[in-house]
Amino acid sequence: MFSLLSIDPGPITAYALNPNILSSNPLREGLSSRPMPQPCNVVIFGASGDLTFRKLIPALYNLAADGDLPAATHIIGFARREKTDESWRTELKESTAKSSRSGLNEGIWSSVAPRIFYHQSEFGDLEGYRTLARKLDELDAQSGTQGNRLFYLSVSPTEYEGILTQLAAAGLNQSPTGGWTRVIVEKPFGTDLRSAHELNEVVGRVFHEKDTFRIDHYLGKETAQNILVLRFANGIFEPLWNHRYIDHVQITASETLGVEKRGPYYESSGALRDMVQNHLLQLLCLTAMEPPTDLGADSIRDEKVKVVRSLRQMTPEDVTKNVVRGQYGAGAISGKEVIGYREEDRVSPTSQTETYVALKVNVDNWRWADVPFYIRVGKRLPKGGTEIAIQFKHAPSVLFNKPGEPLGPNVLVIRIQPDEGISLRMQCKMPGNAIRIEPVKMDFHYGTSFGKASPEAYERLLLDAMSGDATLFARRDEVEGAWRFIDAIEDAWHKTEPPPPLCTYPSGSWGPKEADELLEREGRAWRRL
Amino acid sequence: MVLDTSKLGLPVEIGQIGKELKKLWEGDGGTMTRASLINFAVYCEGAEAGEQNTEFIIEFTRDHACRALLIIAEPQAAETTIHAWINAHCHLSRAGAKQVCCEQISFVLEGKASNLIPNIVFANLDSDLPLVLWWQAEFPDPLDGRFWALVDRLVFDSQKWVEPTKQFKLLLDSLARTESRLAMCDLNWTRSLHLRQALAQMFDHLENRRILDGMTTITISYAPDFRSTALLLVGWFAAQLKLELKHHDQAQVILATPRGHEVTCQLVAEPGRSISRCQISAPEGVVEVAREGSGDFFSVDVRLSDSRTYHHLLPAGNNESASLLAEELALGGRHRVYIKALAVAKELM
Repeated sequence: MFSLLSIDPGPITAYALNPNILSSNPLREGLSSRPMPQPCNVVIFGASGDLTFRKLIPALYNLAADGDLPAATHIIGFARREKTDESWRTELKESTAKSSRSGLNEGIWSSVAPRIFYHQSEFGDLEGYRTLARKLDELDAQSGTQGNRLFYLSVSPTEYEGILTQLAAAGLNQSPTGGWTRVIVEKPFGTDLRSAHELNEVVGRVFHEKDTFRIDHYLGKETAQNILVLRFANGIFEPLWNHRYIDHVQITASETLGVEKRGPYYESSGALRDMVQNHLLQLLCLTAMEPPTDLGADSIRDEKVKVVRSLRQMTPEDVTKNVVRGQYGAGAISGKEVIGYREEDRVSPTSQTETYVALKVNVDNWRWADVPFYIRVGKRLPKGGTEIAIQFKHAPSVLFNKPGEPLGPNVLVIRIQPDEGISLRMQCKMPGNAIRIEPVKMDFHYGTSFGKASPEAYERLLLDAMSGDATLFARRDEVEGAWRFIDAIEDAWHKTEPPPPLCTYPSGSWGPKEADELLEREGRAWRRL
Repeated sequence: MVLDTSKLGLPVEIGQIGKELKKLWEGDGGTMTRASLINFAVYCEGAEAGEQNTEFIIEFTRDHACRALLIIAEPQAAETTIHAWINAHCHLSRAGAKQVCCEQISFVLEGKASNLIPNIVFANLDSDLPLVLWWQAEFPDPLDGRFWALVDRLVFDSQKWVEPTKQFKLLLDSLARTESRLAMCDLNWTRSLHLRQALAQMFDHLENRRILDGMTTITISYAPDFRSTALLLVGWFAAQLKLELKHHDQAQVILATPRGHEVTCQLVAEPGRSISRCQISAPEGVVEVAREGSGDFFSVDVRLSDSRTYHHLLPAGNNESASLLAEELALGGRHRVYIKALAVAKELM
């Protein structure tokens, strides 16, 4: 174990507090509506990992191809395996050509490649960090990067503490020349409140909270960012966005895939920790939050934290009543037979891990009083997709909406992925002499309306971290609040006797029937995706 | 006017356009999705420009869902005639196998019918959507300002004007008279967008800022037909760095910093790209952005006085009108910096 008690994150410099002080470049006016990053050195821990090859380097390459990567930025990969700069560059070139959304241009690659370096070291070897520090100092001196450093922890959370300890011991958590040092931490950020708190303590002893960027790639998605625009840039939605007009909200994230090669990870995680604690609660927060006072990172995150704090904590009885967990059995997906979860590679044949969870969440504040948020997430469901559906209350039962022949409610759907867009369902008279009413859908598709593809989430998030903009990153109190809520459910599942049942559902179905009953008993039903 | 109308679609009566469009969509059996985010009107003169724009709009609708209005005018024609066509351009959407379609309404106006443009455009807009008007000819004198009330973005290319000074005066006077709030989108300004971005990026780097602060010379190499592009670039430097115009002739412009130091802008006409090179020199170092041959990138070199050098490649964009328009539409917003740069550039034209 490492001890971090005496490490000081260092002083907060004036321009570390406000990165825009440094970006007062008179030639920038009118050329960019976002803060531009300063050149820096990006150090990726876990340089030989899948994320680095498939997402991080392609994202940095695309930023360079679009002219958004500061020209003097260097990328340094830190990992255990023996490689040279040249061999790593060759591997990265090959994987970037496969994974980059814009392909690979030889000219751009040849201008980026000389700025990529590989640094081989054990994560626990202090000398490896000291040589890294010397390397970074050299690069700073060569290219005037002012000691700006971004450390990306693309490693298992079990490695965080060791890496952070050594970073601090080598003095790498403080810029030698007054620049900024920041750290990006990949999910999962802890496995429960206690571990998240410990991790936050560990990170907090080495980096200031303002320099800590907890990444949730869902927040980098165009449609997730559009939720705030939809709500607060339009006059028609916000007056209706409350308990007076909204009946309930459904948030769904469905996958056709099973656990694939992630059996061991999934066994220790499950759908609740893997998806609900981070991605889906983030979407819930964006949907439920109050308008922020401004678009600053903390103003937005303050409002999200208020939502997290308003989540009604569940007792074991509430969990039994309001949460359904399921596990997929054998079945068929897209016409092909697939095995059940317990038959998957490196999964226990008696596993109690949930691959599906449906829950009813209450947000106890004035706006959302008595408006349930139903969340469901699952693997091996018939269709993949993530969406938020705002279901409005029924029209009064006069004129057209008679008790015997009720009309469907208005539903506003925000599709996060795939086929990103927004649709609104409403009632309409069918042509003819008689009054016959049918639901119609007004549909906006990003892909249809905008020819330009959106940048990948990691491009946006890396650029934001380099610019010091934490808006799309989770804050400590947000993460811990979310774990507090999730822990109550996990405790009910694993620490009460008898535990609530783990239901099974055939692959290719929409989950266990108990999940349907969760809504049916309140006169509601899951949306058909 | 001898115009190949085969790609304009179905000939229709002017008064029946709405009805005929409705029929067009009713006949698709519900297999196509009609999409529109803007009204996109193109005004051009002559058959050749008309045919080029017909091809252009087909491509444009791939990336920009719109109702396109193509107005092909021949104001000098002796006879006054009006003809109209409707058409749909369908492409597979980026999201999948869905056919996404845009409407095009084309008009050929000869003789005095050219005066009916405001009426024709007013009558055929897709309601509630912004209007982008791309005016590809010289503005007529006098210029009817009532039209501007309807236009959200006016696109033009001042590089193609024979008399830019007169054209700017006509346009700006007309906009001022009508108190129009439309966004002026000069493709000649967009033409230097990537160059300005490359230059700006070099000075995001604090270490290079001292070159900007101490600069003595700016050298701009431009193709002979693109002097106005170069002058707008000089205007940009002057406006953004608060440089005062002291003197100018064909080869150079002398500017002064707020502290009274002189900055010389050397203007070098030479064959090549619109702006093939821009170099900023100071005792502290040199920043040079150059585009050679047919490459898609700027080669950017920073040479500091302590002998350190950096080399980068940055996107250079494309000088084709279609690409410039796409850049312009992606950029959006009002071009306040352009207005400031133009104020200086006009003095130099």
